[in-house]
Amino acid sequence: MQISFKGQDGIVKAEAQILNGNLWIHFNGQTRMIEPEISGRRKGKSAASSGTEIMAPMPGKVTKILIAKGQSVRKGDALVVMEAMKMEYTLKSDIDSEILEIKCEWGQQVNLGQLLVQMKPLALKPTAEEK
Amino acid sequence: MKFKRIAIANRGEVAVRIIKACEELGIETVLLHSEVDINSRAYRMATKCICIGPAPTASSYLNIEANIKGALAAEAEAIHPGFGFLSENADFAEAVVKAGMIFIGPSADSIRKLGDKVNCKELAKLANLPLVPGYEGEDQSVSKLIGEAERIGFPVIVKAAAGGGGRGMKLLTSVKGARDLIESAQREAQAAFGSAKVFLEKYLDHAKHIEFQVFGDSTGQVVHMFDRECSVQRRHQKIIEEATSISLTEDLRRRMGEAAIAIAKMGNYKGAGTVEFLLQDGEFYLLEVNTRLQVEHPVTEMVLGVDLVKAQILTAQGEFVFDVKQVRIPKGHAIECRVYAENPFLGGVPSTGVLGKVHWPEGPGRRFEFGFDEGDTITSYYDPMIAKVIVWDENRPRAIQKMIRVLKDSIVFGVHTNIPYLIEILSHKEFIMGAMTTRFIETFFADPIKPLELNAEEKSLIQHAWRIAKQGGSSKAETSATSSWNANPFSSFWRGV
Repeated sequence: MQISFKGQDGIVKAEAQILNGNLWIHFNGQTRMIEPEISGRRKGKSAASSGTEIMAPMPGKVTKILIAKGQSVRKGDALVVMEAMKMEYTLKSDIDSEILEIKCEWGQQVNLGQLLVQMKPLALKPTAEEK
Repeated sequence: MKFKRIAIANRGEVAVRIIKACEELGIETVLLHSEVDINSRAYRMATKCICIGPAPTASSYLNIEANIKGALAAEAEAIHPGFGFLSENADFAEAVVKAGMIFIGPSADSIRKLGDKVNCKELAKLANLPLVPGYEGEDQSVSKLIGEAERIGFPVIVKAAAGGGGRGMKLLTSVKGARDLIESAQREAQAAFGSAKVFLEKYLDHAKHIEFQVFGDSTGQVVHMFDRECSVQRRHQKIIEEATSISLTEDLRRRMGEAAIAIAKMGNYKGAGTVEFLLQDGEFYLLEVNTRLQVEHPVTEMVLGVDLVKAQILTAQGEFVFDVKQVRIPKGHAIECRVYAENPFLGGVPSTGVLGKVHWPEGPGRRFEFGFDEGDTITSYYDPMIAKVIVWDENRPRAIQKMIRVLKDSIVFGVHTNIPYLIEILSHKEFIMGAMTTRFIETFFADPIKPLELNAEEKSLIQHAWRIAKQGGSSKAETSATSSWNANPFSSFWRGV
């Protein structure tokens, strides 16, 4: 629907629509999606990984799992490869950690925000190169 | 001969483009679609629709037998493959002919000669056309490929032999990590084109991507229809294309055009095709030939005043299309932006879902190619390109200015799009100067763009919008508080009065 708003420099025209509980709004040449502010709700990117939890950043297919349960990984190591819209995306670890649980399988279709890998932070000894 | 009915072995905006050309020529259309693509414009527009299989491309859009069966069942006389999917598949072109139909494109033989990148290079060598150093041998073992990459000298690019459009393409910068990248390229190539075959090429690190539109008519004459510049690429996928390139001198344009015609003629080319080059330090190298209509064909249409899809169909009917004089002088400047369903603030991760309001701001010199309307679903099964915005103006600076305005006024709700990203690219000094190379994106846009901070006024506008939108815009008291036209369902009637 069209909305006009009396701003300081005159009328601002906007187009707005609520879809799946979020507000989509277009004004001043930009489109934004605004999530409702609910108290207690985790703020920000609900689908992004949080360091120890690797979530699917988009819906798609798991095409490769590069780690095993109990394995320790370094920051930047590739964990899972996903495919969506015909492109491959590699999910990497943000931290040095140990793999606690792998919650996905090869070829599995996963949803946005679905938990794929559970990890535990680990203080790894520097490798020979780093010494 | 005139076609009564054409089958379309494609989806999305290109299917819509083909349907429109057919409608204008008085030809009926049959859309060969997957199970999930019933929520799309092409499905609603086609004369007839035939479901050829489930969502995964291997069972539907890449399934030769299913496409042929569908087209025969609908009694189509010809098949238009669009771009991507089976458009450059010689076996498909052959199967269409074998089934007694006409393939709208070059012959299977031409596709094998020119479309297969390895064969194309052999032809180019025979014609003494300049090529980028590389490896295109039959030995596809990863260790052999790594060895060849070292011989060519890093950086080296891995490409799908049967592919195009950036799929199955990876950049190797050193031996380290090369194995993973090659394997990944082979998997992507297999998934996207049904063949894991790859080849290697030296990566030119400050080259421009310049391509020539070629067209072979029914008499065997091959003309070039000038050039396009597509240097703005991300992950080897084009984002912004222009016609004509501002990087070519008269002399370069003539020589590259002649090279394009030469290679097309060697493959007995018929219909629309594109010869791609890299241009670095005033030297050009033949990259590949795309034996199909190109995604960015509209920019050529805008500067030359032609309709390439109609020309393809007319040529397939055996009719003569262009007088050479007609395509001799390009006029003004055209730019195309590809609108992708992705979140530019999260590094371009795909965004899927049901579309809300969609609005494209029509106007002079503006063209919108889109495959989906409000209520349609964008799935994760297919390419993220949901629309193309094309503008034409008298010169490049005005075309850029127009494109920015048009993108700002375009509305897509329900999925995130790269529109803010496109606007930032178009506003970048390097792009405005026309100095961009194929490394433009990785150099200047390596990190996700940041959303603009909301000011106090915008924040209160959003609060206001929440209140009205939740009430479905029915509250008169709310609306009259700020303006008499607020959220009025009839307000659009008053626009421009």
